[in-house]
Amino acid sequence: MGKSTATTKDDAQALFRSLHSAYSATPTNLKIIDLYVVFAVFTALIQVGYMAIVGSFPFNSFLSGVLSCVGTAVLAVCLRIQVNKENKEFKDLPPERAFADFVLCNLVLHLVIMNFLG
Amino acid sequence: MAVPVDAIIKQSPPSSSLRFAFGNVLAFFILLLIGVLAFSIRLFSVIKYESVIHEFDPYFNYRVTQFLTKNGIYDFWNWFDDRTWYPLGRVIGGTVYPGLTLTAGTIWKVLQSLNIPLSVETVCVFTAPVFSAFAAWATYLLTKEVKGTGAGLTAAVLLAMVPSYISRSVAGSYDNEAVAIFALIFTFYLYIKTLNTGSLFYATLNSISYFYMVCSWGGYTFIINLIPMHALLCIVTGRYSSRLYIAYAPLVVLGTLLAALVPVVGFNAVMTSEHFASFLVFIVIHVVALAYYIKGILSPKMFKVAATLVISVGLVVGVGVVAVLVAVVASSPTKGWSGRSLSLLDPTYASKYIPIIASVSEHQPPTWPSYFMDINVLAFLVPAGIIACFSPLSDASSFVILYLVMSVYFSGVMVRLMLVLAPAACIMSGIALSEAFDVCTRSIKYYITSLSESLQTDAGDIVPGNNITSPQNDVIKPDKKEELLKERPSRKNKKKEKESIEKPSVKSKMTKRPLVLPVEASIFALFLIVLLGAFYVVHSVWAAAEAYSAPSIVLTSHSHDGLHVFDDFREAYAWLSHNTEVDDKVASWWDYGYQTTAMANRTVIVDNNTWNNTHIATVGTAMSSPEKDAWQIFNSLDVKYVLVVFGGLVGYPSDDINKFLWMVRIGGGVFPHIKEPDYLRDGQYRIDSQATPTMLNSLMYKLSYFRFVETDGGKGYDRVRRTEIGKKYFKLTHFEEVFTTHHWMVRIYKLKPQKNRIRGKTKKLKSKTSSTTPRSGSLKKNPWH
Amino acid sequence: MANFSIATVFIASISLLLALTHSFSIENPTDRRILVLVDDLALKSSHSIFFSSLQARGFELDFKLSDDPKIALQRYGQHLYDGLILFSPTTERFGGSLDVAAILDFVDSGKDLIVAADANASDLIRNIAAECGIDFDEDQSAVVIDHGSYAVSETEGDHTLIAADDLIQSDVLLGSTKIEAPVLFKGIGHSLNPANSLVVKVLSASPSAYSANPKSKLSTPPSLSGSSISLVSVVQARNNARVVFSGSLDLFSNKFFKSPVQKAGSSNKHAKSGNEQFVTEISKWVFHERGHLKAVNVRHHRVGETEEPTIYRINDDLEYLVEIYEWSGSSWEPYVANDVQIQFYMMSPYVLKTMSTDKKGQYVVSFKVPDVYGVFQFKVEYQRLGYTSLSLAKQIPVRPFRHNEYERFIPTAFPYYGASFSTMAGFLIFSFVYLYSK
Repeated sequence: MGKSTATTKDDAQALFRSLHSAYSATPTNLKIIDLYVVFAVFTALIQVGYMAIVGSFPFNSFLSGVLSCVGTAVLAVCLRIQVNKENKEFKDLPPERAFADFVLCNLVLHLVIMNFLG
Repeated sequence: MAVPVDAIIKQSPPSSSLRFAFGNVLAFFILLLIGVLAFSIRLFSVIKYESVIHEFDPYFNYRVTQFLTKNGIYDFWNWFDDRTWYPLGRVIGGTVYPGLTLTAGTIWKVLQSLNIPLSVETVCVFTAPVFSAFAAWATYLLTKEVKGTGAGLTAAVLLAMVPSYISRSVAGSYDNEAVAIFALIFTFYLYIKTLNTGSLFYATLNSISYFYMVCSWGGYTFIINLIPMHALLCIVTGRYSSRLYIAYAPLVVLGTLLAALVPVVGFNAVMTSEHFASFLVFIVIHVVALAYYIKGILSPKMFKVAATLVISVGLVVGVGVVAVLVAVVASSPTKGWSGRSLSLLDPTYASKYIPIIASVSEHQPPTWPSYFMDINVLAFLVPAGIIACFSPLSDASSFVILYLVMSVYFSGVMVRLMLVLAPAACIMSGIALSEAFDVCTRSIKYYITSLSESLQTDAGDIVPGNNITSPQNDVIKPDKKEELLKERPSRKNKKKEKESIEKPSVKSKMTKRPLVLPVEASIFALFLIVLLGAFYVVHSVWAAAEAYSAPSIVLTSHSHDGLHVFDDFREAYAWLSHNTEVDDKVASWWDYGYQTTAMANRTVIVDNNTWNNTHIATVGTAMSSPEKDAWQIFNSLDVKYVLVVFGGLVGYPSDDINKFLWMVRIGGGVFPHIKEPDYLRDGQYRIDSQATPTMLNSLMYKLSYFRFVETDGGKGYDRVRRTEIGKKYFKLTHFEEVFTTHHWMVRIYKLKPQKNRIRGKTKKLKSKTSSTTPRSGSLKKNPWH
Repeated sequence: MANFSIATVFIASISLLLALTHSFSIENPTDRRILVLVDDLALKSSHSIFFSSLQARGFELDFKLSDDPKIALQRYGQHLYDGLILFSPTTERFGGSLDVAAILDFVDSGKDLIVAADANASDLIRNIAAECGIDFDEDQSAVVIDHGSYAVSETEGDHTLIAADDLIQSDVLLGSTKIEAPVLFKGIGHSLNPANSLVVKVLSASPSAYSANPKSKLSTPPSLSGSSISLVSVVQARNNARVVFSGSLDLFSNKFFKSPVQKAGSSNKHAKSGNEQFVTEISKWVFHERGHLKAVNVRHHRVGETEEPTIYRINDDLEYLVEIYEWSGSSWEPYVANDVQIQFYMMSPYVLKTMSTDKKGQYVVSFKVPDVYGVFQFKVEYQRLGYTSLSLAKQIPVRPFRHNEYERFIPTAFPYYGASFSTMAGFLIFSFVYLYSK
């Protein structure tokens, strides 16, 4: 019994280490995007927690807040997919074009958020 | 292998690019003609009758558009309509899908600013044909993404003429579907385009187009359920790619936000079960994306370890979350679905629980003949199209197959949803027809070139590859050249597409040769296909001209002395608007509410929006009750006039007596003292001598047949029910007749005011001298007085 | 000279025209003409006290025999009289163009009527009464007999002369001074349908009364008995026309006015019966000199504004004003009461408040519009015994909030505002960092 738990613990540790090493191999700009995604998700979680405490009275504000965070996360992930050099499907896509699409989409998202917020 | 290709490239660039350009220009003109066709086939009603708005719902949309053009958008957004659903009123801004009215209003505004003085009515009448032309073009774009230009053009032509779509978008049918079908197809096109190209730009456009769809029609839930289903299908069949993520995830986020912006939808966008599928698949796609990502960065062994760890933990958490979700959803009686959606999923639901939904004729299941009437020849071509989509199967073609299957199911539940089936059927048939044409013409070209080849066996310039490329560059059939390269999903730019024309051609020389038919068979098959198309065209034109162009507010009939026009509805509404006070309330069955407010400009009690079942049940109860009770009910609602539609004199079958069973059912559903068996004799509603006393005493019977025997000299023969009426001579005690139209189709009654004195119980005594006063002595016996 | 005569003729005709057109209207009454139909011209003298009291109050009486062929209530659509007194209980048929329908038409056009029946009341009178809700005893020969409270008299011994003192308690109908002496009555009785809301019993018989033929023995129990017998009733129709039905013509006679009365079983001897006071007060009520209300000048506005809006918003504060006056016989006096209520009504009253008055006729109330939108009505339904009914209804829609009438910034939502702005800021920062991080 102890051996299997030890092996699972070893496995878990090995897993984390390999994940860590694989992740640190990613280029810097992708890491920036990942940081951005983490920030957005974190903000969303804070808002959900706040809603659980206070109640959902201005529901449209809650929705717009949460969805703006989720939206930015999703769009950043899309950007990451398109910019990632290991992605063979997007080999021919210039990163400037990807970033321009990303900016456009974010503009639309924030416009809608501002409209829905109040 | 490379040498002949280079030779081809060096030899044929000028002619192939010229032919390519020529092909494009021709395609453009064909599209223009398709637009003109789509527009003009819908003009039959304007030519046969007049430029008038049809049916019932369009009148409401027309009235709202009038208000919008007169008062501007902020007043429209905040409009509280106090002339309908008296005395509850209706908040228009929050209960109407604004897409159609805003579109027409914008068109009118633009035209006004260009100093083209079209009236609002003209803009409203012609909005539908214009948008059907746009819908045909959108179908072209969508099918081009799936299969190629040839299929696109064929599908566009088919959609321009499909009778099902014509029926809801003739000139004058100013209803939501006119704009919504265009938005539907365009949204689907943008989704497929994003799926094919993986570009975030198209994803943004997709969300905006989805927003337009949400603004226009309640059927947007079809999109928000179909796309998640397709995404799930792709994931399950192993076709997950990051393009799918880019196509799906931004749509859900932006789409939900945009849908919540529309006041009608509001928070339903996140709270009702109709949207839960999209959220579920959203979560699923994130899990799958994460799994693929980790798989990509880890070694296989480590991935296995990770997988076991995650699954064991995730399973526990997942079960807990699902249990909570199920508990929350199951706590609501309809499991979070709205009544209309439930009636779609379970076709028997509406007839059991919601008689109002069951009573609308558009909500009945269709019969088999209606399929042949509405999509005609396409019904045969659709299965062929499905097979063509499977070879080869791409994301886009799997989407179209799924769309078709879902729309076939829903069209089987409700006749009105045949409209959603129409574009899918057109796309599939377009693909099938185009493939068939392709095989036949290729066979003929192959036969011709092999003939010419055998004549010039020693000609050196003709490279074997040329035999295959030349038919592709043939000017007469430009649709085929794109067809080959669309076999695999292309997300490259146009330049690259042109370059790769010649590349697959050589490979296809190997694959395509077995698919050539003998030339006689192909000529004959071509002839038969053209004949099939001709039948379709003839049927569509006939359907557009005869079956679907009736405005239903003006009726015509052909008799031996020419065309007879029944304009009774407008006559009645004009009488109301000229002979009653502005604040008078008119009670009628809910069918005529929109028309009464729009044309007669009077306050009504219930109208076609049918949002308040109790109010409708009150009117239904009043129509089914005896005169005194009906008078009490109407008086409590401050009603002054009662309007009844009666078709017994001319044989108009959609009159109120035929709708009476719904009045009884809906009224009885809320007020238990109205019992349906009281009105039935042997399970049938009868108005002849076998009718039950409750039926003969009901207000509807009395108002319909008051003085009816005067029209045919005492017999009272009802041409719709084909019997003589039961009670022929009777007087009205609490109502008085104020107007009956020329053909007795609309009858208007006024509520008599309360009597000034209340009579005592003593019976009228005959005085000792002769009782007749000088006035009545000379009249002959008159049964009414 | 000729010019002068022409001018006088002209002026005279103008004034005549004015006089003719200036018929009795409730808003500006001047002279009032009443047609009195009698079946015996001796009534003119036997009931002279009553008639002269009417004339003293400004009425113009026109006496005609009931079968005079020249009787006409209307000519070319214009009413010739403003009131009708039928003192002809035995007439079977009126002369001229008068019949039951014409009389009912007269009432339905808002004019007043006094009808007196008697022991030989004809079917005509009974029909008129039945149409107004008064059911006389069907037995043609029955009169009201009361062995309990008859009037002590030397001449009559069959107890058909009744001293009735069961009067209705109503200051409007019978004036503020109490009628001390009983009222002498001799005639037929009638009953009222209790479900009829328009008729009121003014003088009822005592519980020991019954309606039967005094000359024959009773074979079956009488159909009318006890205090359900009404001796004098009034009807106020929905258009506020007033009718008095009396079962006795002698109630109005000089003889009954002047005679002393002693009720059987009581030792009180009254020198004068209460008939004169009773009849005078009732006739004042019938001819609208008391209890006639009018409501004018309905206004409503938002608190703080003066003009009348066409639509209100929910949760608005508004004020409603109305002026109610009562006709005093010569002028409109302010009506003072503390039970005038107003309803803000949409299928059921959402607001029900009593209006306060400034004692000069103006009634005002202010309340908050309820939180429900719809088409409401300001309803004032004032129906009190003896007064004309006031039924005012004014329709006004109530709309919900406009999109910009809500609170602009909600404090509990500040975290969400903050989160949205922070994502926007994060996006900007991210773009800069991303673009320039190479």
